Amino acid sequence: MKTLRLRPYLSAFRVRALLETQYRGAALGGLVTQMFFGLVYIALYHALYASGGAQETPLAEVVTYVWLQQMAFRALLSADGELNERVLSGGIAYDLCRPVDPWGWWFSRAVAQKLVGMLMRGAPMVFLQFVLPVGYRMALPPTWGAGAAFAVSLMAGLAVIAAVDAIRSAVVMRTLDARGVSAMIQLLMMIFAGNVIPLTLFPAQVQGLIRFQPFAQALDAPIRLYLGGGDFLLTLGMQLGWLLALGWLGRGMWRRQLLRVTIQGG
Amino acid sequence: MKTLRYMGRAMGLLLRSAMQYRASFLMQTLSQAVMTGGELLAVEVLLGRFTRLGQWSGPEVLFFFGVMQCVFALVEFVGRGVSTFATYVGSGEFDTLLVRPRNLLVQVFCTRLDPRRLGGILVGLSALALAAAGQPLAWCWGKALLLVASCLGTTLLLVGLFLIEATVSFFSVKSIEMVNVLTYGGRTACQYPVDIYPTPLRLLFTFVAPFALCMHLPVSWVLDKPLWGASYWAALMAPLAGAVFFGIMVRVWYWGVRHYRSTGS
Repeated sequence: MKTLRLRPYLSAFRVRALLETQYRGAALGGLVTQMFFGLVYIALYHALYASGGAQETPLAEVVTYVWLQQMAFRALLSADGELNERVLSGGIAYDLCRPVDPWGWWFSRAVAQKLVGMLMRGAPMVFLQFVLPVGYRMALPPTWGAGAAFAVSLMAGLAVIAAVDAIRSAVVMRTLDARGVSAMIQLLMMIFAGNVIPLTLFPAQVQGLIRFQPFAQALDAPIRLYLGGGDFLLTLGMQLGWLLALGWLGRGMWRRQLLRVTIQGG
Repeated sequence: MKTLRYMGRAMGLLLRSAMQYRASFLMQTLSQAVMTGGELLAVEVLLGRFTRLGQWSGPEVLFFFGVMQCVFALVEFVGRGVSTFATYVGSGEFDTLLVRPRNLLVQVFCTRLDPRRLGGILVGLSALALAAAGQPLAWCWGKALLLVASCLGTTLLLVGLFLIEATVSFFSVKSIEMVNVLTYGGRTACQYPVDIYPTPLRLLFTFVAPFALCMHLPVSWVLDKPLWGASYWAALMAPLAGAVFFGIMVRVWYWGVRHYRSTGS
């Protein structure tokens, strides 16, 4: 690795972020969809909690958890379609001529897409959620500290998601047909980041395990901080640890793929 | 008959082209099963913690879930052309369908039959098996008939809902994610019986997108807990709502076809 220059990666970030802001119609659609899913899930939890049996996780916490997940949904499920296209069309050859680390290049793009996509859908939702009837609206973090810890940890979470995404794209390069693997990795993320059901509702016996797996670092860890649980430094350390591990793995996979890459087309 | 033969031929062609990427095809079928399996896992986790959902026991909830997953896999198998219809319009591919001497909607179905989606049925069936093992259910031909009617009705309803999105794509090239609210949102919401929801959602899923009539009413009769105390005949006739819904949406779609302007080559 030559001297580390950040500028190309920052500019990749900026370009992708600007591109994402162009999709306002899609953002509005996503907003409505995520609101609806949030309402349905919360109605379901109301019914479950009303069915009897004491629970250690209070309903109000589940409600807030569900909303935070829905707000960040776009970060989980967006994928850069361009890479697949470039691999199939041979356009990847031009990318490889650039004097940058390709993994870092696509990683910066992924972070940009996820961050901007999430803000465009999530930020308006915050306001909507505070006007919902009591029982359906999300709670503020208990302290300013918890809010700040959440914000910092969410950024680390986004980076973890982007690192997983980079691994996914390495697999794309290998198989050329991305749909199967992509769908599988995205589903794993949705379940084990806590989108389908809050990880706090998994059985007590697996709680110890489930909090430490990589996908939990994406969204579950920041949300637990928001709710006022968990130690900030410990959580952030865990997130950064997984980020390094996933980054190392992804970068290695990219290197290997690039050594044997076949340029399609002519 | 001709239509069926046409569908069979289309199916064979698609399978053969899929087999050109055999590993990817198997992977995708498997991933469909795994994905639906993930949702089964989620429901199991919830049932493990809460054991009941309103008046419904765990196995009963699983039964609703199983029916919905089977139906949805079936819909994605036959209805892929409808649910991805916007790309026909966007690419101008729809023009090629217009000039062929076959029924238009049948062509839309046939050109994108997607056998990979059937992977989800495996999981739906295992959920049903789990549900049946968990509770004593007296079976009779009448109930089997109800179940078939319910699956057909719900399938038609879902394809009808996807047709709304398809119709909108004649007028706007932007994909409108909002329609997902009723299709994918309907699947997620209505894999649980409708009576657990607050009134607005209940009304939505009874009168606007009648999942309650197509699926919950007949299935609840099969489970010997008919919603709203409905009689057998009412439960058997209710899925017709799906057929009516589908019929209306086909009309609306053809109305959209008349306003279709090609995007050019």
